[in-house]
Amino acid sequence: MGQNSPLKTLLWFTAVILAPMAVADYEPPRTADGKPDLNGLWQVLNTANYNLEARDSRAAMQMREGPVVPVPAKELVPLGAVGAVPASLGVVKDGKIPYQDWARKQRDDNAANWLERDPEIKCYLPGIPRATYMPFPFQIFHNKDALVFSYEYAGAVRNVALSDPGPAPIPSWMGQSWAEWDGDTLVIHTDGQNDQTWFDRAGNFHSEELIVTERFTRTSEHTMQYEATLEDPAVFTRPWTISMPLYKRVGSDDRLMQFNCVTFVEELMYGHLRKEPLQ
Amino acid sequence: MTTCCIRPLLFCLALLSSPAGAEDWQLQRMPWGDPDFQGIWTSATVTTLERPDELPNLVLTELEAAAVESGMEDLREAIDNIGEGDLEAGGDVGGYNSFWMDPGTRVVRVRGEPRGSIITHPEDGQIPFRFTEKLRMYWNIYKVLTWTDHPEQRSEGERCTVGFGSTGGPPMLPVLYNNNYQFAQSPGHVMILVEMNHNVRTLRIGGEPLPEVIKPWFGDSIARWEGDTLVVETSQLHPEQFLRLAIKHQVMMGTDTRVTERFTRLNENELLYQFTVSDPDIYTEDWQGEMTLRKSEGPIYEYACHEGNYALPNILAGARQEEQE
Repeated sequence: MGQNSPLKTLLWFTAVILAPMAVADYEPPRTADGKPDLNGLWQVLNTANYNLEARDSRAAMQMREGPVVPVPAKELVPLGAVGAVPASLGVVKDGKIPYQDWARKQRDDNAANWLERDPEIKCYLPGIPRATYMPFPFQIFHNKDALVFSYEYAGAVRNVALSDPGPAPIPSWMGQSWAEWDGDTLVIHTDGQNDQTWFDRAGNFHSEELIVTERFTRTSEHTMQYEATLEDPAVFTRPWTISMPLYKRVGSDDRLMQFNCVTFVEELMYGHLRKEPLQ
Repeated sequence: MTTCCIRPLLFCLALLSSPAGAEDWQLQRMPWGDPDFQGIWTSATVTTLERPDELPNLVLTELEAAAVESGMEDLREAIDNIGEGDLEAGGDVGGYNSFWMDPGTRVVRVRGEPRGSIITHPEDGQIPFRFTEKLRMYWNIYKVLTWTDHPEQRSEGERCTVGFGSTGGPPMLPVLYNNNYQFAQSPGHVMILVEMNHNVRTLRIGGEPLPEVIKPWFGDSIARWEGDTLVVETSQLHPEQFLRLAIKHQVMMGTDTRVTERFTRLNENELLYQFTVSDPDIYTEDWQGEMTLRKSEGPIYEYACHEGNYALPNILAGARQEEQE
């Protein structure tokens, strides 16, 4: 029959051995100057924006004590299942974010006061790395003279310098970024972020000392591995890394829409200042 | 603000003093063949959209151009030289001093020719409003400047939804400050980052319009190349972007207004920007304008408007306070 012929066995072994290597040896499409081509729309398919750390699903982002078990915060009750939170596998490489003791307490306090404190609720610019794993796509414009990230969420944008511009002149919401290549991996260094952005909806935060080093590596026609190492000696005991795949949007999905949420939060932020506040 | 006041001045001087360099220039192309428009460009100019009464012609004499430019210098000095002593309680505290502005120091020059207005057609340099539409615009300006019952009544610039006036366009018109635009290109797309308010216009080359129910800020833009000129057709404009109110221009656009923009690289330092505005409901005829975008040095820094918007809540809170008194 030839079913167990030495040739087939060899082919099978070859396939098994080479399959994982295929990712490492993936030959990406390249720009004219020979760099991996990162142009296009990319997006995560995970729940990192809910929580970078692993966590089970639950009824709402903000909970309170209930008579039997915790129940959603009063303001979130009408949302029902739409306001519930899916489980997070976690994207932190060593599992837990290495907070200093005071900072972990601060994080827990942030989570307990999520509705008042999460900058995403006010449509504020998301900062780096959160912009990457918001549940929205972003478009990369990339060639030898330009590297711009245009995010659907809040119309955020990151204009990445192609050489080290020196320290950021002042803190800003999206910080100052510059890029270099490490082989076929794009490495982006970001400093100069203010301390107003969070990492997720779980209250994870940082100070103005945060330095982010991101690594973008194309792994297949439709995927790119994303890693970000976060250093902030004012908040964490050591640098830590998050890692997740990005997926390319193709075909009719290859289209960045607009999510200018500034007007969406006017009632929330300024409704109390109307001549006759709405009931 | 990447360019405050010194840099554009130096740049214009450099341009004027080295016209010969333009002759050696060759259009650079992206690896896929499209003309290379990449870089940071500024539209800062003392030339207004509409032609002032004292300038009858589109093309200025050098004497007229110099007079317009020195007029802006005088205005800068007047803004900065406020009187000695404390201001009267309850009086007008004034606005920014000129350090914070970037209204340009030079008139628009198209292929070296000084211009009295950005508008090239109609010949009188005025927006050809239908009479009732102009009244409607004045009524809307009155409302935006005086109504304070709700945040939605204030101007788009104050609300931080988009930048002041028509800085983000289309058409993209110069305002008092932050007149900078970054162009980046990828196969099938041209991206324009408008400095105020970090607004991105993604121009796709070809393709179908968005479904009619979708009306984005800056509209839905589809571009094409006509030779080496990028032609951008835009419609389906956001209904709340209908009044483009700035100190330097006042324009009105409907959701169905069609704007055609044409970008042509003239040399290393100049990008010709031409536009046509079509809307028979608002205007008696199509009107056109042109200006030159000039290369700007230095990066565009973040213009985070909404995140630091103290003005809008304070305007509303001030009105509520006045009602109490």
